[in-house]
Amino acid sequence: MDLLTIPFMRHVLIAGVLVALGLAPLSIYVVLRRIVFVGAAVAEISSAGVALAILFQLPPFSVALVLTVVTFLGFSRAADSPRLPLEALIGMLYAGGSAAAVLLIVKAPRGEGDILNVLFGNILTVPLPLLWGMVVAFSLVLAIQYLAYKEFLIIAYDPDMARALGIRVALWNTIFYVTVGVAVAIAIRGVGALLTFTLLVAPGAAALCLAERLAVAFAIATVSSVAATLGGIFVSYWFDLPTGPTIVALLSVLFAVSYAYAALRRRSS
Amino acid sequence: MPSDLLRAHGVTLGYGTRVVLQHLDFAIERGDFLGVMGPNGSGKSTLLKAVLGLLKPLTGTIERIGTNGKPPRFGYVPQREQLDTHFPLSALEVAVMGRFGRLGALRRPRREDFEIAHACLQRAQMDRFSARPYRELSGGQQQRVLIARALAGEPDALLLDEPTNGLDIESERAIMELLLDLQREKATTIVFVTHLLSAVEHFARRVALITRNGTLLIGEKPEMLSPQSLARAYAEGDA
Repeated sequence: MDLLTIPFMRHVLIAGVLVALGLAPLSIYVVLRRIVFVGAAVAEISSAGVALAILFQLPPFSVALVLTVVTFLGFSRAADSPRLPLEALIGMLYAGGSAAAVLLIVKAPRGEGDILNVLFGNILTVPLPLLWGMVVAFSLVLAIQYLAYKEFLIIAYDPDMARALGIRVALWNTIFYVTVGVAVAIAIRGVGALLTFTLLVAPGAAALCLAERLAVAFAIATVSSVAATLGGIFVSYWFDLPTGPTIVALLSVLFAVSYAYAALRRRSS
Repeated sequence: MPSDLLRAHGVTLGYGTRVVLQHLDFAIERGDFLGVMGPNGSGKSTLLKAVLGLLKPLTGTIERIGTNGKPPRFGYVPQREQLDTHFPLSALEVAVMGRFGRLGALRRPRREDFEIAHACLQRAQMDRFSARPYRELSGGQQQRVLIARALAGEPDALLLDEPTNGLDIESERAIMELLLDLQREKATTIVFVTHLLSAVEHFARRVALITRNGTLLIGEKPEMLSPQSLARAYAEGDA
């Protein structure tokens, strides 16, 4: 536990827990609503936003936040066109966002290491103001998730029924996507695109393999997300491994075990 | 003389510039048991969505006539296959969704909402399955849960989209008998869309036939199920 005596590691632990807690409930909806790769595409768009901000000396987080939320809102209105499945659009946004980030960063007036941290985030270098930003943002995200539980559930499960009941589907969809956008933007800034994407998918996917009730799925996602994040931080410290990829590896193992367990259970029933 | 729950005047329905149904002038009476039939792709579900208010008419008006100054409440039972079975929900959790429209924004269902949902499951003879995962139920059982969900909203009318689709003959009959009982008990207005002549023939009181050219014939069952009316609807086969 000597790790806890190191000041910056305390920041790492707090940042990790905050991101894990904030993204865990969202991950259930992201998986159920089949928007997993929207998360990946938006992460690239967010990175492109940061690169654009660096190039034009604008506040990186604000630009990334605006682009992330706008992209999520775009997806909330998007649908399969008669000629093209939505998946193709997501793929092109992913590719376009990645390319734009690289091309913009080539011309950016900053050192490479500094740029990589700003661009991709690094859980080891989360500054105190960002930590406070995370506390505020994720508290809001969790509060909205809790309060709007019934709205988010029914617009995802049966939007026609929701409309028939007089629930304003477009409004709640917008609120949902803005919530996800804000959470993703701040998470990327704090812990990087890869870890954000994984925390936005793996806890929900693992929980849905195991749970027969939605409340249980939320609980499993939250506990597994926090446990894997803390586990990854400790393991990376003890074995001198990069922290983000170690957490991602643990979450991948967690998902693989859950998936295998669900498959075995299905076969035996 | 029953009063009207809904009146459509000169309605055209469609998506964008594509017209699906046109020249619709009809009324749905309170306490009606109306079966909507038509060839595949003729616009049966489109008509149901318009009645529910999910689809605005391209032209004309649909007037929903409530009581005490409040608009009528519709309980919607979608096609079972539309619902995603990845959601880990119990039968009771699905049924309680019918209450969501009666709760204010950001209010979670309370104990009394679950009690009402449970009573509706009981009415649909599904109370002993209330804790079971919805996705593990048979097609007929899922259909009953969806009817219970619609009832939980205490609707003025039940609107059902292909309620017997994919069911065996016994389950199909049981579902239609449940609807008939509901209609008799509380004079609940029931509108169901089906492609099965047998369901309409045995259970509906009035019939709406959608013709191949996108118009609607509506009337009493003997008249609507006459060879002449059916020939108009299914003129090019596909009955």
